[in-house]
Amino acid sequence: MTMRRLLLGLAVALAAGPALAQQPAVPGWAVGRPEGSTLAPHAPRLTVTPPDQVPVGALRLPPGFQAEVFAHGIPGARMMAEGPNGTIFAGTRAIGRVYAISRNPDGTTRTRIIAQGLAQPNGLVMIGNSLYVLAVNRVLRYDNIEANLDNVPAPVELTQAFGLPTDADHGGNHSWKFAALGPDGRIYTNVGMNCNICETDRDRFALLVSFNPDGSDRRIEARGVRNSVGMAHHPVTRELWATNNGRDWAGNDWPNDTLHRVRRMGEDHGFPFCSSGSADPQFNAGRNCSEFVQPAALLGPHVASLGMRFYTGTMFPEAYRNQIFIARRGSWNRERLTGYDVVVAHLDAQGNVTRLEEFMTGLRDDANQRFLDRPVDVHVMRDGSLLVSGEQMGAIYRITYRR
Amino acid sequence: MRPGHLLAAAVLAAALPHTAPAQDAARGAGLAADRCSACHGADGRSQIPDIPSLAGQQAGFITLQMILIREGIRHVPAMAAVAQGMPDRDIEDLAAYFASLPPAPPEDRRPRDAALASAGEALIGPRLCGVCHLPSLTGRDQIPRIVAQHEDYLARAMTEYRDGRRVGADAQMNGAMVGLSDADIAALAHYLAHRD
Repeated sequence: MTMRRLLLGLAVALAAGPALAQQPAVPGWAVGRPEGSTLAPHAPRLTVTPPDQVPVGALRLPPGFQAEVFAHGIPGARMMAEGPNGTIFAGTRAIGRVYAISRNPDGTTRTRIIAQGLAQPNGLVMIGNSLYVLAVNRVLRYDNIEANLDNVPAPVELTQAFGLPTDADHGGNHSWKFAALGPDGRIYTNVGMNCNICETDRDRFALLVSFNPDGSDRRIEARGVRNSVGMAHHPVTRELWATNNGRDWAGNDWPNDTLHRVRRMGEDHGFPFCSSGSADPQFNAGRNCSEFVQPAALLGPHVASLGMRFYTGTMFPEAYRNQIFIARRGSWNRERLTGYDVVVAHLDAQGNVTRLEEFMTGLRDDANQRFLDRPVDVHVMRDGSLLVSGEQMGAIYRITYRR
Repeated sequence: MRPGHLLAAAVLAAALPHTAPAQDAARGAGLAADRCSACHGADGRSQIPDIPSLAGQQAGFITLQMILIREGIRHVPAMAAVAQGMPDRDIEDLAAYFASLPPAPPEDRRPRDAALASAGEALIGPRLCGVCHLPSLTGRDQIPRIVAQHEDYLARAMTEYRDGRRVGADAQMNGAMVGLSDADIAALAHYLAHRD
């Protein structure tokens, strides 16, 4: 019912706004596609993958690391958050569900669907005993959730308080959310670009923003970040870091997806004028890219760098402490596949990225140009193991280390 | 075709998950006889103007739509009870079955109106239908085949997308329908229904 209202709103907004109505009817993802190109987003898989088809055996890791299937049968699993009692919550996009995954004493897991029918409930954040779900233009708070997994009470509606742009405001582009809890107790999220690339209101779109948990006091943390679907605060410096998805249809190798370090609130990272540190061929508008904050690292062209976390556990070797694990969901806007892996951005003492390490590979089959799964998020568990969500196969992998 | 196009086409065809799910079309046939054929026709060819034929439809599209209906994201009152609680395996098997059937135009197709069809055809290019549905308009994966379908159904689907009463996995079709008049939609539906 709410979806229907939302859609009616979308239609009204689209019909009412003359500027919007004049936009070409081409789907957002295809705007700018060169004639003759057949590149298009890969189809999602929204049905259960039998456990024997979950490609855990294909995963490749550095020496000493092992991968196992933590949970499976969770179609579309994406962003993860952990409750105080150890429940792993997973958001989704098209299938509209939020999952709760709890561990049985024998090490197996039990998965419940705690919410469904939502518009792309991708952003999850846990504050105390409350789970916040950020869907498209909708924010819901599930209080005391872990005590009520079998009988989930109606959530507290915070949609109006947050006042996030609607899917129509976004023109259907980049309207889904990532959410993180800051060390200051605020909820950090993205407001993605309302197109692939265009002139836009730079106080409304391509932002990192934060709110009080009740939705008040919206603050722009960074401008000119095209679409971040992954962010985390450095455990020592408390600085905000974010991954970013670069624009499409500007070639196989430009721009790169990027990692961003936000040192001052509200600083400008340059989109749409500049991407991955250099001028956009169409939308530069005469701006000098050196006037903007430079990316902290280039993460590869079209790799879809999404969920990121600093490694704060003790299970992994010391060299990984406070380094950034990044899930790269994998490319569609490129003739040869890139990404489909987890990388580590290694930082020096000043917080400069010194190198990118390919950490979890094996899901991209270069010879046959196929992929086996699409990693979307990473999560450091309290025992120091690392969870990786695989959206395409509806599985969560767990990575451990033994000396 | 330039080599680049061939490469891109090869990439599109190949870049699918390695482990294809093992759908069982034969099992799907049994399920369809019980649950689908009364409305969608014994051979996936609907005899009811407002209900789509499913013969030859893309398996990915049928699967996606069934899940959107089951999950309460797409609202189709007549389908709600059928979809409620349907296991993924049943959905995949049904989709494999319908995809395996040869597509055919509706038997009760009304006579082709040349003026109406050409008005519809004139909208296909500007509306960029072929970007997603492919130039043949026979679809791919989760994007449906839209040719030789029931005209009434096509018109209703497009109207629902335009008016925000239907949604797919995203809002792309809603955007694609913006600004079309009822007459435009009628012309498109007529053209598509008559294209084989």
